[in-house]
Amino acid sequence: MGAILTTERLTKNFGGLTAVNDVSFSLEQGEILGLIGPNGAGKTTLINLISGAFPPSKGAILFEGRDITRDKAHTINTLGIARTFQVVRIFSRLTALENVLAAMVDRGRKGPWSLVWDSFFRRACALTEDKEACATADGLLEFVGISRYRDEQAGNMPYALTKRLEIARALATQPKLLLLDEPSSGLNPAELTGQIDLIQKINAQGTSILIIEHVMKVIMGISHRLIVLHYGEKIAEGEPEKVYNDPLVVEAYLGGDSDAQH
Amino acid sequence: MVPVMDSLFLQQVLNGLITGSVYSLIAIGLTMIFGVMKISNFAQGDYSMVGAYTAVFVMAWVGGWLGWVGSVLAAAAVVGLLGVVTERLVFRPLMTRWTDIDMIMVSIGLFILLENLAQLFFGATPRMIDDPFGGRTINLGVASTSLLRLFCFVFAGVAIACLELFLNRSRMGVAIRATSQNRFAAQLMGIDINQVYRLTFGVGALLAGVGGVLYGTLFAIYPMMGALPTLKAFAVTILGGMGNIRGAIWGGLILGVAEALGGNYIAMEYKQAIGFFIIILVLLVKPSGLFGRKEGA
Amino acid sequence: MSARLRKILLWAAALVALFLVPHVVEDRYFMHIVVMAGIFTILTLSWNLLAGYTGQLNLGHAAFYGIGAYTSAILAMQTGLSPWLGLFAGGLVAAFFGLLLGFPALRLSGPYLAITTIGFAEILRLVAMNWVDLTRGSLGLSGVPLLTPIKIGDFTMQFYFERDYYYVVVAAVLFTLFCIRRLIGSEFGVTLQAMRDDEAGAQSIGINPSSYKLAVFTISAFFAGFAGGLFAHFARLVSPELLALHNTFDVLTMTMIGGLGTIAGPILGAVTLTFLSEALRYMEEVIKIDIRLIVYGLLLILTILFMREGLVGVIKNSWARMKGGR
Repeated sequence: MGAILTTERLTKNFGGLTAVNDVSFSLEQGEILGLIGPNGAGKTTLINLISGAFPPSKGAILFEGRDITRDKAHTINTLGIARTFQVVRIFSRLTALENVLAAMVDRGRKGPWSLVWDSFFRRACALTEDKEACATADGLLEFVGISRYRDEQAGNMPYALTKRLEIARALATQPKLLLLDEPSSGLNPAELTGQIDLIQKINAQGTSILIIEHVMKVIMGISHRLIVLHYGEKIAEGEPEKVYNDPLVVEAYLGGDSDAQH
Repeated sequence: MVPVMDSLFLQQVLNGLITGSVYSLIAIGLTMIFGVMKISNFAQGDYSMVGAYTAVFVMAWVGGWLGWVGSVLAAAAVVGLLGVVTERLVFRPLMTRWTDIDMIMVSIGLFILLENLAQLFFGATPRMIDDPFGGRTINLGVASTSLLRLFCFVFAGVAIACLELFLNRSRMGVAIRATSQNRFAAQLMGIDINQVYRLTFGVGALLAGVGGVLYGTLFAIYPMMGALPTLKAFAVTILGGMGNIRGAIWGGLILGVAEALGGNYIAMEYKQAIGFFIIILVLLVKPSGLFGRKEGA
Repeated sequence: MSARLRKILLWAAALVALFLVPHVVEDRYFMHIVVMAGIFTILTLSWNLLAGYTGQLNLGHAAFYGIGAYTSAILAMQTGLSPWLGLFAGGLVAAFFGLLLGFPALRLSGPYLAITTIGFAEILRLVAMNWVDLTRGSLGLSGVPLLTPIKIGDFTMQFYFERDYYYVVVAAVLFTLFCIRRLIGSEFGVTLQAMRDDEAGAQSIGINPSSYKLAVFTISAFFAGFAGGLFAHFARLVSPELLALHNTFDVLTMTMIGGLGTIAGPILGAVTLTFLSEALRYMEEVIKIDIRLIVYGLLLILTILFMREGLVGVIKNSWARMKGGR
């Protein structure tokens, strides 16, 4: 199996601050790669770079051998990378079902005007009456376990479940690579187990995953490999057990803690 | 072709600076309110309208020199109070659940309400503020102007200086600046945020009210006059960067001069649109304004 | 099936009722008001597409209205183009300007967009005032031709009276309603709402907000221009007033009071306020003061403060309560 995603010497500066510094790594096809590090280590910035939220200052990103360094977020999604957000960014006034339906459009092929055309000359009278599309969307809601909230406005759903909705929405774009930014934050222990199962189920279907996570139980349990960031730099990489016991990593976390006390 | 530095040119620059100083004053109020509360208040020009009418009535009652000064004080008091009241009744309830669009639309509602109330109470006939200097003019060597207009300019400058003093020296002024920079940090430092809002709105409206007296001194006063100062103040504020007081001072002067020169050398008919041409150009090049530091919300 | 049948019957009943109105009410003044309500309905529906469904606060909507009116009027007066085609030509020219205004909207939001759109409309209003050769300036174009008669076999439909225009406007409103309902219910509409709720989230599922903003500005402007054309051939007078800010504010107030971001809201708001303002004008003769716009302003403020979902929300809630109570 080859690498699906490779970053080469990726660097991002915000003014004087270097959030990500010279990070190179590869993500293998079908792998779950865990990304850990103390607060402010640059994890989310790294995901933002890969997903195209903003361009890197230096370095390159390759996805399936194609250079996506300068591509915009929406293009990157159509190429096969989907993501979730640390603080959920669902469409709060749409229903759960519509959130997923919005993501199912084949946006690589269809622009706004072709959708305008479609709305008059194809499909059912309304998207929510399109049986075929709804069946697929329902399947995804079922898959992440929130079918009960199908017709609920997403803004009224419990927070823990909106995290699942965001995953369903990401999956609806049929990604080859899924970027998960702290999928377990704000969940209680019972919900955590469900989340771990879900992520493993997604992976079992062949989707590669890059995951940021603070909850050690989650990240150690599901990652095939780990990468550790500290002050924007990659300080360790390898199997979870090995990385966990790496003296450099231990120091980074302790140092990070004492930093936080200042 | 660049206009030569003839006396007409200098005359227009002087006229522009005088009008511009009034724009600055009104815009500072707008930009303060935006900086602290992130509210874009489209009713700002109606505060000026109320200020101008206050002056009309005070002048009719007292008249002369004393009347003019009294007008300014009365306008400051009346409009400051109006600002505090509208903040409490109209804007505060939205502060916890607002979107940009809600705030803009509620202020548009206030705008419609105030100008039509004015129409109802004051009638549609345009009014003027009497010239306490009896129309005397002064020759500044290269250009001349009426004593009254010059006085407006000086007065706007003094008002701005007073505001700077207040913001930099007084405890509440510092609290306002702190909140403008970082609302949460200010709250953590024990600043009473609601008091800051009230005060900001009061002062912001007051400046528009005082500016309205000056505006009414330069132009006609009628119930629907508020739209122009509102739009001018927004143009100035965007030019100077929203929330940026220094930017508003420069923005006002720039707009005033640009209007005067553009109206004279390019097309009189489009004078009122010059501000829009400038801001559309500025926004296309730099979406945060000429003096803006960061992307606006 | 029965639900569907009921829906069809309801629509049929509504159509019959709409058809009968001019036969029941003969008053020309009343019909005039109904026609204006219809024109404003098209404006509110199109404005709502931007503000309610896409989250783009366009305060220059009156410009599209005016452009449509001028285009259709000038084409009919100077080239003799059939007003029926002129309606669509007006829509298309307005759509082109909508596309133009869409470009700044790509980079601006909130107050920046609001003021830019106002500036756009004000500049065009000044152009209408000053391009005297074409527009006759502030006098406006009077004597705009009426809609030309339609001949179907032996039957000829003339367009002289308010009631004739009533049928045209009802058809136009239904056409607009159909289009906008289709657009909102489709993948296109869901995309717009996704952008409105969270632009970064929308990008993460492959939506390119820029291209959609351009499209929706174009479409919204088309309908506003179309409404402008209708007005031109109905009122037979086109003036720079049409592009003025207060027209946009009227549209905004109607939409908000009816219910922003709904289909029924703009219709309800436009009809309610048009009639309310006529009622207030009536009252003016009694109490001798014009409180029409005072009421508008007050209603707008109260709606945003206390009934964010407008009349539609109020009706929906009380309906739910009635059902729940039973």
